[in-house]
Amino acid sequence: MKMTKMIAPLALSAFLLAGCAKPPTEQIEAADKAVREAQQSGAATYSAQDFAKLEASLAAMKKEAADQDAKFALLRDYGKVEQLAASAKTEGERVKADAEKKKEEAKAGALQAKQVAQEAVKAAEDLVASAPVGKDRAALEAIKNDVEALNASLNQVQMAIDKEDYPAAQTQAKAINDKSQAVSAEIQSALAKVGKGKPSAAKKK
Amino acid sequence: MRAIFPHMLKGFAVCQGLFLAGCLEAVPPDLVKALESIDHDLVALQAAEMAPDDYAHFVRQWIPLRARVQSDDDLVRWPWEANDLEAELRRLLEEGGGTVARLHKERDVKRRMALDKLTRVEERLRLIASQVDAIDGRIVLGGKAVQADLLVKQARSFYDRKDYQRAIQAANQAGRALFVEASVLSKELGRYTDDRRIARWQTLAQQTVDWSRTHQSTAIVVSKADRNLVLYKNGRPILSYPVRLGFNGIREKQFQGDGATPEGRYRITAKRGQGQTQFYRALVLDYPNQDDRRRFVQAKKAGQIPSAKQIGGQIEIHGAENELMAQTLGCVMLENAHMTALFERVQTGTPVTIVGALTEGNAVALALSQLDVRKDET
Repeated sequence: MKMTKMIAPLALSAFLLAGCAKPPTEQIEAADKAVREAQQSGAATYSAQDFAKLEASLAAMKKEAADQDAKFALLRDYGKVEQLAASAKTEGERVKADAEKKKEEAKAGALQAKQVAQEAVKAAEDLVASAPVGKDRAALEAIKNDVEALNASLNQVQMAIDKEDYPAAQTQAKAINDKSQAVSAEIQSALAKVGKGKPSAAKKK
Repeated sequence: MRAIFPHMLKGFAVCQGLFLAGCLEAVPPDLVKALESIDHDLVALQAAEMAPDDYAHFVRQWIPLRARVQSDDDLVRWPWEANDLEAELRRLLEEGGGTVARLHKERDVKRRMALDKLTRVEERLRLIASQVDAIDGRIVLGGKAVQADLLVKQARSFYDRKDYQRAIQAANQAGRALFVEASVLSKELGRYTDDRRIARWQTLAQQTVDWSRTHQSTAIVVSKADRNLVLYKNGRPILSYPVRLGFNGIREKQFQGDGATPEGRYRITAKRGQGQTQFYRALVLDYPNQDDRRRFVQAKKAGQIPSAKQIGGQIEIHGAENELMAQTLGCVMLENAHMTALFERVQTGTPVTIVGALTEGNAVALALSQLDVRKDET
């Protein structure tokens, strides 16, 4: 009877200890999910350093969990794993939010650059449209090709935006804007030299 | 018991002192700072973006080690305890330092490569633009000149943003576009380097000069490549003037509105003095002649000219209305003072021969030779 009274509490304690030493599966999955969502938000591109550290934290958590799994059941302690999982989840949510914000800023920048480029191309097109007909139009014939090519190149900006390649979209848009302004200046210079007389009807050439 | 207690207290205090004296910090703080500095350097090098594997390799070691440093278990140790944490940190510091140095070097190599490529394509773009301007060949390139220009500008933008990999990619694309430009020019204007073609033009011009000598009269020869008009009298040159041509003047005329200046043997059919023309004074030519009509019909049959196009006409040698325009719609244009001198010396019926070029060293051939470069040189 005395022996039973001694053994029973010991057995109960061992049973309780063994039951407590379970891996925090839900917390680990939550951390995994947070990192996956950060990746899907574009964190590897827009918050590259933070995402690399986040992945490293997740790897450390998984290693700690594996190390505990490898121990004798009574010796397992998943406290640190829980801590790391909670930290990875919080950090994953933060990195995701940060990446989404930076991505939106990059997209807004690209759209703004495209808008500026479109306006510059339109200005050049308007100048061409205002050119005189007749013999004077020779001054602009060669430049018209440039304006048409600039207009066509705006499509490439949109394609880059559609592919979410915002740096490419911005640099392309800037290039189009710069070139359009140069072409507009050239058109204005050419127009300044012509049209002083009455515009004549087009003749055979 | 009361007598022993103070001694027990003393003994306990001594033990505690020995204990504290024997304990050591697990990690020197400056070691941790040094590793944080390595991380900072890698971030500044944009290692996560430009060398993601290297950065991942570093942080996968640094993050757990840093966590261990921050953990309570590692704050103190006995002197006889093995200090694996400090050893691992020192190893990582050395490895990280090596990575930083290597990435610095790699970035510098990439930067120099990007700058080299960028400089070459920018120079090539300038060269092509200047040669095209010199021969009024802009319209020959169509939209290609703009495409190449935009790629060069884009490469420069990436370089300025320190995105050297993308600057190299854009510069390579620009190089290919510039190669295409040079190829188009060579194909479209290759006749100016063709010996047989030049020989035919020389023959035409010589026949005109011979006619001038034989008939003791005036005759005009225009070289499109060199943009030059020469008036002969009795077989000898008496006037030589620079001229401007159509906006597509360098090409062979195909149809109305193409901006090309025709080539062939013509005659002056009418003289229009001041007040009779918009362009100061004008010499009307008999374009299209029989040869022109025959070629036009053949080209249309061959599908080289759209069916709706007409052959054109009203090609003249004329002066300037106001300021001298850069190009015409296809006519040959002179400064008014030169036009006056020419007008006074020719008559209706004076032959006018317009050829592509008169020498192998003509301006278009020279421009094309400047652009003759292999694809991999850009």
